[in-house]
Amino acid sequence: MEGDSEEMSSNNIKLLAGNSHPELAEQISKRLGIPLSKVGVYQYSNKETSVTIGESIRDEDVYIIQTGIGEQEINDFLMELLILIHACKTASARRITAIIPNFPYARQDKKDKSRAPITAKLVANLLQTAGCENVVTMDLHASQIQGFFRIPVNNLYAEPSVLHYIRTKTDLKNAILVSPDAGGAKRVASLADKLDLNFALIHKERQKANEVSKMVLVGDVTDKTCLIVDDMADTCGTLVKACDTLLEHGAREVIAIVTHGIFSGSAKERLKNSKLARIVCTNTVPVEVDLPIIDQIDVSPTLAESIRRLHNGESISYLFTHAPSE
Amino acid sequence: MSNIVVFGGDSHPDLVSKICDNLNIKASEVHLGKFSNGETSISINESVREKDVYVIQSGCGQVNDAFMQLLILISACKSASASRVTAVMPYFCYSRQPDIPYTAKGAPVIHRPQKEGEAKLTTRRPGADSSFKSLNSVIRSTINLESPQPVRAPELTSSKSFSRIPMIPGSKLQNSHTNGDAEDLFNAQNAGYKLWVVQAGTLIANLLTEAGADHVITMDLHDRQYPGFFDIPVDNLYCKPLAQNYIQHNIPNYEDAVIVSPDAGGAKRATAIADALELSFALIHKERRSQLLKGPPDATLTSGGTLPVSNRPLVSQPITNLRRSSSSSSVSSINSESSKFVQTTMLVGDVRNKVCIVVDDLVDTSYTITRAARLLKEQGATKVYALITHGLFSGDALERIAASEIDQLVVANTVPQQQTVEHLGNDRVDIIDVSRVFGEAIRRIHNGESISMLFEHGY
Repeated sequence: MEGDSEEMSSNNIKLLAGNSHPELAEQISKRLGIPLSKVGVYQYSNKETSVTIGESIRDEDVYIIQTGIGEQEINDFLMELLILIHACKTASARRITAIIPNFPYARQDKKDKSRAPITAKLVANLLQTAGCENVVTMDLHASQIQGFFRIPVNNLYAEPSVLHYIRTKTDLKNAILVSPDAGGAKRVASLADKLDLNFALIHKERQKANEVSKMVLVGDVTDKTCLIVDDMADTCGTLVKACDTLLEHGAREVIAIVTHGIFSGSAKERLKNSKLARIVCTNTVPVEVDLPIIDQIDVSPTLAESIRRLHNGESISYLFTHAPSE
Repeated sequence: MSNIVVFGGDSHPDLVSKICDNLNIKASEVHLGKFSNGETSISINESVREKDVYVIQSGCGQVNDAFMQLLILISACKSASASRVTAVMPYFCYSRQPDIPYTAKGAPVIHRPQKEGEAKLTTRRPGADSSFKSLNSVIRSTINLESPQPVRAPELTSSKSFSRIPMIPGSKLQNSHTNGDAEDLFNAQNAGYKLWVVQAGTLIANLLTEAGADHVITMDLHDRQYPGFFDIPVDNLYCKPLAQNYIQHNIPNYEDAVIVSPDAGGAKRATAIADALELSFALIHKERRSQLLKGPPDATLTSGGTLPVSNRPLVSQPITNLRRSSSSSSVSSINSESSKFVQTTMLVGDVRNKVCIVVDDLVDTSYTITRAARLLKEQGATKVYALITHGLFSGDALERIAASEIDQLVVANTVPQQQTVEHLGNDRVDIIDVSRVFGEAIRRIHNGESISMLFEHGY
């Protein structure tokens, strides 16, 4: 670093981006005031990924932004990321940090039946093999995934941004927080403490992956604005059923707040036909579904600030409790 | 055979069942699928504890999906206590590593073009004022924070035929105007930093090893050095014995035929077959000189429009001294408004009134091989066979081959060839079955026997 730590010179930091979320990359780049490096990520006609590097990254502090998304392309994006990391490694980068707002395969993190693959661990190994030396991600499905790595994993939280959103854009007086499953109770309880709100819990009996059967509500939601908080919304089966359950129990309106709005499969149809008043997600993944009830929280300031702090060797724990203001 | 378990990925089920038939075992039950968010899902329904596991997956179709599936399968077997896991990759993906960006083989397709007018959620944009004082104000002032619209990628996928020159998309990576990327990349070329294409070979080798592969079996690797990227044994099988067998049994009067290599890189492979069968040999040398780099970027190039080489037929100039010289060349030079592309193809060797057998290890976009066939016919070849190990035929390669001067396409089934047969008809395509070679290799490796006999004689 140069003598003046307040200065962030652009000649020793490089921002690279894959094709998964160009908008987010651009927002981070603008926020930091550092242009994205000239790299081209293409696909050959035989579907192999090809990466072209257009500027020197020798001895640079490299940050590669790529999120895990895409019903058709999630593996393509993962390969893009691996090849980009490998490219920087072979081009003598000083340090390579992967910014993966939504960690792919995060839900395949345990051997839930015989011979089931722990793909999250595999992805962790692949990233390290490619040459990744630091990982920044957000709201990991299970924070234990950090233990799959031998390198530092900075698991950022969307919570500060979500808190800010709830405080400014919802009817806080009549609100109650709801966890859609037992696993998310901790997340919701933490929010409830900070907002000084009550919380309810929905217990679901799951029979198959992506399918939900029965729901039991614990807590009183009569005449309340229910804020369902979860880490991700994928097929939205859970959310929509939880919404119905809450309305059956006399809730006034239901707002869902999730970190990763993946919305795959029949999510769009489900959301369209649902009684949700609003569904709020962050921009860790690009949202392809266009519905009036969808609202977004921008987390690029948090990601950008984490890059700045990592580069300058500052603590990032401040970001666990504070959202950088606009 | 005891203690052996064979799994097939979903890239080439036909070959998997053929290999298993040769081994006289059944492929083990594995469920392959995808979660609704696109993540690969597998579940293995058979015990692999202390077993010798073979996972067969070819690098075709959706290559990255196939490769991830292979890695996940290997890793699942390894973590389920398999004693040894062998990756069987009839076609090894990423084995060809183009190194020069502007003459790179294969045509890039640009990901996810955002259509104009497509409704997108707008995210709240961070304001121009940052709360972080530490941001360098000098740098920030040079960047136009007011740029009003997110830059849209031009529609590149609309044009089906790409040239062999990778196109630089004017796209999302730059916050200047639409063609910023292309221009910047071209300028980078002039500013002393040489644009380079990443070579993924070592990475792929490391990923396989990391996933838990103990051994790799493949066929006709494009680079002979590729096994050196691995720290585990790699058995590179050869299609050559099968190809020789085909020539001897299926080409009438093969003794008078000429083996042709379509480019200088394949000369060694072709001469090996020519030597073994005592046939004569010819070589096609192609030279591409692009003058695109020197001029300003052409608008038609960045928008994926007209592509000089691929869209127009190669025009050969009349050659007058054919009889006297065995070496002849055809030169074509195409000038468009602002881009120039010079192409020279040269044939070394005599093919007049001969049957030509063009030998190549890999055909992807098929530009090389169809051009070679045309040149051979122009030089008086009576019949052109194309003898190929890995027929990927991506993009509109099959249409090009159908319209080409190739009379008979002979291709191994390392990647599925149903489409090829459908497209060209049964008469014009012959398939070399490699399943026996793979089956025998698996049997011998499982039994700890030598496989070098397979290199010489095939099976």
